[in-house]
Amino acid sequence: MSAARTLRVVWRLTAVNVMMTLEYRGAFLIYMFNTVADPTISLLVWLAVADQGVALPYDRAQFVTYYVMLSVTAMLTATWLGSYLAEAIRLGKLSPFLLRPAPYILGMVGNNLGEKIIKLPLLLPLVGLVAIFFRHDLRLPTDPRAWALYLLSLPLAATVAFLLDYVIGSLAFWVEDVNGLLRIRTLLGAFLAGQYVPLALFPGELSGLLAAQPFRYTLSFPLEILTGQLSGTALAAGFAWQAGYCIGLWALYRLLWRFGLRAYSAAGA
Amino acid sequence: MAAIVATDLSKTYRFHRKAPGLRGSIASLFRRETLETRAVDGVSFAIEAGEVVGFLGPNGAGKTTTLKMLCGLLYPSGGAARVLGHTPARREAAYLRRIALVMGQKNMLWWDIPAMETLLLHKEMYGLAEAEFRRTTDELAEILEVGHLLRVQVRKLSLGERMKMELLAALVHHPEVLFLDEPTIGLDVVAQGRVRDFLHRLNREYGTTILLTSHYMDDIEQLCPRVLVIDRGWLEFDGALATLVERAAPHKIVSAVFAAPVPRAVARAALPGLDAGDAEELLKISLTAPREEVADVAERLLRLGRIVDLSVEEAPVEEIIRGIFRPAADPVVAGGGRS
Repeated sequence: MSAARTLRVVWRLTAVNVMMTLEYRGAFLIYMFNTVADPTISLLVWLAVADQGVALPYDRAQFVTYYVMLSVTAMLTATWLGSYLAEAIRLGKLSPFLLRPAPYILGMVGNNLGEKIIKLPLLLPLVGLVAIFFRHDLRLPTDPRAWALYLLSLPLAATVAFLLDYVIGSLAFWVEDVNGLLRIRTLLGAFLAGQYVPLALFPGELSGLLAAQPFRYTLSFPLEILTGQLSGTALAAGFAWQAGYCIGLWALYRLLWRFGLRAYSAAGA
Repeated sequence: MAAIVATDLSKTYRFHRKAPGLRGSIASLFRRETLETRAVDGVSFAIEAGEVVGFLGPNGAGKTTTLKMLCGLLYPSGGAARVLGHTPARREAAYLRRIALVMGQKNMLWWDIPAMETLLLHKEMYGLAEAEFRRTTDELAEILEVGHLLRVQVRKLSLGERMKMELLAALVHHPEVLFLDEPTIGLDVVAQGRVRDFLHRLNREYGTTILLTSHYMDDIEQLCPRVLVIDRGWLEFDGALATLVERAAPHKIVSAVFAAPVPRAVARAALPGLDAGDAEELLKISLTAPREEVADVAERLLRLGRIVDLSVEEAPVEEIIRGIFRPAADPVVAGGGRS
């Protein structure tokens, strides 16, 4: 399929998902409330710790900036496809799609983009309220280059997260129940992505490991750019890791599907 | 050139069997019994472009498995399939653009949005030009009488309307070969008839090659001049439906209604072997007769009294088909090794 047609198909699938999501807008408003509430609670905890005079690598402003921007960043890089994909494989729901001349993954891309298009306008006012509340400590970058780099790392982070889920979900071609694995990915992933605790607060000995693991590139890295923690070299290395994970996971996805579809077709489709 | 060719096509499924209960589950962690079932076992046939062929067989006979191998969803375990010159299992885009599969029990349309959205998606996927897409959609919607429903949420449609929409979505790219798996399942008689009329018209006007499975004999009788009968993975019959009926049911049903009751003894004397029940007098006599004796039986009936109605009918096709299939045995044909 040509790139232009692929884009048109993705756009159509996105539009379809926007329409479907609009049917459930009430539920999405509640999700978005949670998306903002969790980081705000974490922020309050850390500010309380900081007020006790504990020496932390982050100052007040960095905490506020990190957690206020976390909800938007986390939403825009989130994925939820793993269990859906696994179910589609296990129950043979893949079949109607496999007979269309377009790869199945495009449907998931459309679903992901479609829901995010609906969630963003619901989320932004809530984040705005939190930002106003913490306005005295909020220090967003004024340098447009920082924003440009953040906006570049955002789609890459979303891609790494999406492909990670896709690869794990694809294991359902061989493994009967991948939900346990997906749960571990969600919990461990959130922790290692800096969703609860900024990675900068982890012990220094772990910094090498933390920099190399993929979850950093699903959330923490764009936030590190915004909070101004990264030097020129660290930035370049970060983008290299992020792009590397995109390419590596893409290759892994292609490989898994090549053999996975054979297993699927052997089992009864 | 034949549109669909199956040569010695086979499909074997492997599965595991475990003893019931917790003990069985634990034991199966260490030792599992691997079994194989041959769903399709060396099936060969060829279907010319423009034919409508019915695929008959009881549940588990291998109909859907064969259909799935032909459209590319399943890899054959043996033999070969060629459809429109393509090897289906490769699932090349060039192949998928020329075929369609409609499954009565699986839907392609999104539930929460109007069918038109799925059609628009197909327009992009199949790379259809705007004018061509509009023309086909309007044409199909008119024949199927669903033009006014294209912008209604799919979940608000009746089962029959939904099936028509499924057909529309599957046909918007003008497939040359259409595979149908139970397309009328669950539909009421009127809706079944409409779908059948549509398929008939599709074949006549567009020359679409159709291979369909159905449990409704009406579908087969009205649509398919040719049938393939498959049972336990074997192709039992390939030919005209009329030939199948003749071969499987060499009897016809002869019935007569008389103006005045005929005494039972008289009727039995004229028609030896007549099962007349307990009644002393008969107003209606109905019996099965070998094809070559039908004329003779009718003549004897005429001699019994003044007849107000006389009919000679084939046995119901449904019954005939049921008769063809022997009682199903355990489908597991080969115990594989243990793993």
